[in-house]
Amino acid sequence: MQHSYASFLLAWCLRQFRGERTLAAAYHLFSGKKSAQTLQDSKWFQLEPFFGAWKNVTMSSLEAAAGWLAEQRLAMVVGDRAYRLTEAGEGWLSEREALFPRHMNGWRYHEVELPFWQRLSLIGQTLSNLNAGRRFAPICRDERTLRWVKRYLMDKGGRAALTRELYEELLRLLAAVSEEAALVFTLRLTSADRIGWTAEQIAAHLQKEALYVEFLFRDALHYIMAEAEAGRSPALAELMDGLAPVALTQSAQKTYEWLQKGKTIEEIAAIRRLKRSTIEDHLVEIAANVPAFSIAPFVAAEKAAAVQAAAKTLGTRKLKQIRDALGGAVSYFEIRLVLAKEVGRWMKS
Amino acid sequence: MDEIVNTLRKQFGHHSFRPGQREVIDDVLAGRDVLAMLPTGSGKSLCYQLPAYVRPGRVLIVSPLVSLMEDQVEQLRRRGEKRVIAFHSLLDEEEKGQALASLADFRFIYASPEMLQSASFLAALRRAPVSLFVVDEAHCISQWGYDFRPDFLKLGDVRRALGNPPCLALTATAPPQVRDDIIRTLGMREARRHIYSVDRPNIALKVEHCRSPEEKAERIIEYAQRLKGPGIIYFSSRQGAEEIARRLERSGAGRVAYYHAGMDGEQRLLVQQQFLHGQLDLVCCTSAFGMGINKENVRFVLHFHMPAQLEAYVQEIGRAGRDGAPSLAVLFYADGDGAMAQAVAEAELPHPHELREWFRRLPEGAGLDRFRVWVETSRFTDIQKRLLSYVLEREQSLVFGAPTLLGERVAAAVEERRRWKRKKVREMEGWVHELSCRRSRLVHAFGEELAVRPDRCCDRCGLSLGDYVGRESRQTAVFVRDWREELWNLFFGGRPPHEAAK
Ligand SMILES: [Zn+2]
Repeated sequence: MQHSYASFLLAWCLRQFRGERTLAAAYHLFSGKKSAQTLQDSKWFQLEPFFGAWKNVTMSSLEAAAGWLAEQRLAMVVGDRAYRLTEAGEGWLSEREALFPRHMNGWRYHEVELPFWQRLSLIGQTLSNLNAGRRFAPICRDERTLRWVKRYLMDKGGRAALTRELYEELLRLLAAVSEEAALVFTLRLTSADRIGWTAEQIAAHLQKEALYVEFLFRDALHYIMAEAEAGRSPALAELMDGLAPVALTQSAQKTYEWLQKGKTIEEIAAIRRLKRSTIEDHLVEIAANVPAFSIAPFVAAEKAAAVQAAAKTLGTRKLKQIRDALGGAVSYFEIRLVLAKEVGRWMKS
Repeated sequence: MDEIVNTLRKQFGHHSFRPGQREVIDDVLAGRDVLAMLPTGSGKSLCYQLPAYVRPGRVLIVSPLVSLMEDQVEQLRRRGEKRVIAFHSLLDEEEKGQALASLADFRFIYASPEMLQSASFLAALRRAPVSLFVVDEAHCISQWGYDFRPDFLKLGDVRRALGNPPCLALTATAPPQVRDDIIRTLGMREARRHIYSVDRPNIALKVEHCRSPEEKAERIIEYAQRLKGPGIIYFSSRQGAEEIARRLERSGAGRVAYYHAGMDGEQRLLVQQQFLHGQLDLVCCTSAFGMGINKENVRFVLHFHMPAQLEAYVQEIGRAGRDGAPSLAVLFYADGDGAMAQAVAEAELPHPHELREWFRRLPEGAGLDRFRVWVETSRFTDIQKRLLSYVLEREQSLVFGAPTLLGERVAAAVEERRRWKRKKVREMEGWVHELSCRRSRLVHAFGEELAVRPDRCCDRCGLSLGDYVGRESRQTAVFVRDWREELWNLFFGGRPPHEAAK
C-alpha cells in the first residue's frame, strides 16, 4: 500500500509529540476538541496549524495510518496507543516536508474559516453572474451569509471597481501559495460558467487524495485570511467583518504584552531578537484585532487623518497609491496601521 | 384574459396551467379548505404562490424539511420576490427576533412545525394574521403516511389558535386513509378534494431481476452507460452510493457524483447545483437527494435497492420526466432485497429490548416534561425519538401513576408500527413480483383504477429499451484551465488578455 496523506499528517504529529501522547491526542487535535488539554497540547507541541483542521477525522483512520507507519518501520509503539517516529521515520518525514501546509493556522481560524469562505465564494459567484448578466441560485444557504453579502454589495456600490480589486488581490495572494493549492482554491469557487467542485472531484481530477486536497484548500484559505488580517489585502479584510478569530497569534500576543509594559518597537525587537518588520506586522495584527489598542503613539493624528482621507477619496486600499498621493510623507507601516484600525472599527460596528 | 392567467404569465412566466393547478387555485381563492393531491413534479407550490399575488394577505407554509424550505424560498427570491422568509431551527435568536417584529411585511412565511410551537411566533402571527394556511407534504400528518412526522399532528391546534384561516393541504402521495387523516387532523370543513392520479404516464416502469448484488452492480452500470441522461440512481446505503459512483466513474459512464446526508452542507449543495446546471450526468444518492430539486429533464431513475414502500418509490421515480418527455424507471431486484428493505425500515423503530431497558431506568414519579427531556437525551436515533415522543404525548394521562401500563402502550405502539412497515414492504415486493401491468398495480395501491395505458407502459406490457438509449457521447474528462485563467474567467468572463495570463 502506498502511503496516504493521513500517514503523513500523523507522522508529523508523532514527531512533535516525541512519544509523549497517544493517538487519541492526535484525534482530539485534528477534530478541534476545546479541552484545556488539547489546547495546551497544540501549543506545547507546536501543532497549532492542525488544530480543528480535519473535523471529520475518525479514530480508525488514524489507527490505520499508525498501523501503516509501524509496518514500514517508520514508527514504533512506545506505550498504550502511543507511537514515536523511528530514525527512518524522521528521514521519511523530512523528505516530505513539502507536503506540509505551511500557511495553515487551524488554531486561529477553525471557527471563522467557514463564514469567511462562504462570504468569499458567494461574493465571487454574485459578481461573476452579475458581470455575465445572469440570474443564479446562491451557492450558500446560510441566511446570515446571504444577508451579510447582500448588505456588503449594496454598501460597496461600484461593481466594476470591486471586481477588479478582488480579482487583483486574489491573483496576488494565490500566486504566493503553491500552484497546486491555488488551483484547488480556484476550482472550489463558483462562477457563472461553473459550479464549484467538491474536494473529491478536484482530487479525482488531480489524481490526489481528497484529504490532501482539503488541506491544500485550507492552506490557501488561511493564507488569504492571514494576509487580510495583516492589512495587506484590504478588500478581503472587509470580509472578516464580525468574525473574531482566536484573538492574536501567540507571537503577536507576546509583542502586545511588551507594548503594554511600555516598550517601544525597537526595544521589543531587541528583546525578542526579531526583525523590526516582524514586530510591525504584530502591531498591524493587534490594531485590527484589539479594539482597545490605540495607534496614536505610532501615527501622528494628522497623518492618520490624511491616510483616511486619501483612502476615501481615491477609493482604494492600495498602499502604494495612498503613499504616492501623500507625497511619500507617510510610511507603509503607518498606512497599514491606519487601515487595519479602520477595518477593526468597521468589524465592531 | 382573466386575472389569474395574467398573473401566471406576469409573475411565473408560464402560459398555461398544469393539470389540477387551476382547479385548486380557484377553490383557494374562493376561501375554501382544500386537499390537493397532485403528482410529484406537477408544480404544487404554484397552488398557494399564485393566489398570494391575486389577493392581498399573508401565506403561512408549514414544511417538514429545512432544505425543502430553503429551496422554495430561493426559487421565490429568484423570481424577484423579496417578501419571503423561512423560520426554522437554524435561525439564531437575534435573527428570529428581528423577523418576528416585521412579520407583517412578508407575503410568504415558511415555518417548520417546531417553530409553530413557539408562543412568541404564534403571537406574532396573530398580530399579522395569515390569509392562507398551507401544509406542504401533508401526508406527514398521518401515522399511516409515508414519512410520518409526529410534530405535524399539532398543526390542527395551531390552525385553531390562529383563528382557523382557510387551509390548503398539499401532498403527492396519500392513499385514501391518509387523506382522511389529513382532513380530520387539520380540522378542515367541507374540504374540497382535488385528487389527481399518482400515475405519470411518461415514465415507463421496469424491474430487473438479478441473482446477486454484484450482478446488480454490473447491470446498473451497463444501464447507466447506455441510457440517455441525465439520471439518478437511488441506494438505501451511503456506502453503496459512494462505491457505485466510483465504479461508474471508472467505467466512463460520464460525470458522476454521489450525494447523501453524511456529506457536509456545502458539498451537498455543490453536487445539487452541478446536477441542475448540467455539469453532472449521474448522481448516485440516498433518498436525501431530490426533494425540492426542480430539474425538468431527468431521463431516468434507477433503484439499486428496493425502497421500503411504494409511496417512497413513487416519489423517487417522480423526479424523472418533469418536462413530460419519455423517461424510464428501473428497479433492480435480487433475492433478499425484501429482507434488507425490512431491516432498513425497522431500524427506525426502537428495539423492544432497548425500549424495556429504557423504561426500567426511567426516574420514578417523573412528569411529562421530565419524560421529554429523558427522550431527548436518550441514545435512540432522531426518528426513534420522534416516535417515542409521539406515543408519550398521546398517552400522557398514563405518565402519572401508571408507568408500567405506559411502557406496555409504548411497546404496543412500536409493534403496531412494525407490523405496518412489514405490510408496506410486502406491498412493495408484491409490486416487484407483479406478473401483469405494473402501472395498473401501482395506481391500485392508491385506490385508483388505471384509466389510460400509455404505449410505453411497463416491462409486463412490453417495453423496448431502445427508445431510451442515448447516442450522445458523454464527457468524461473535464477541461480545466490554468488557475489564473479560471480566476479571470470568474470575475470577467472569457479568457484573459495575454499579459494578464502570465
Ligand atoms: Zn403496464
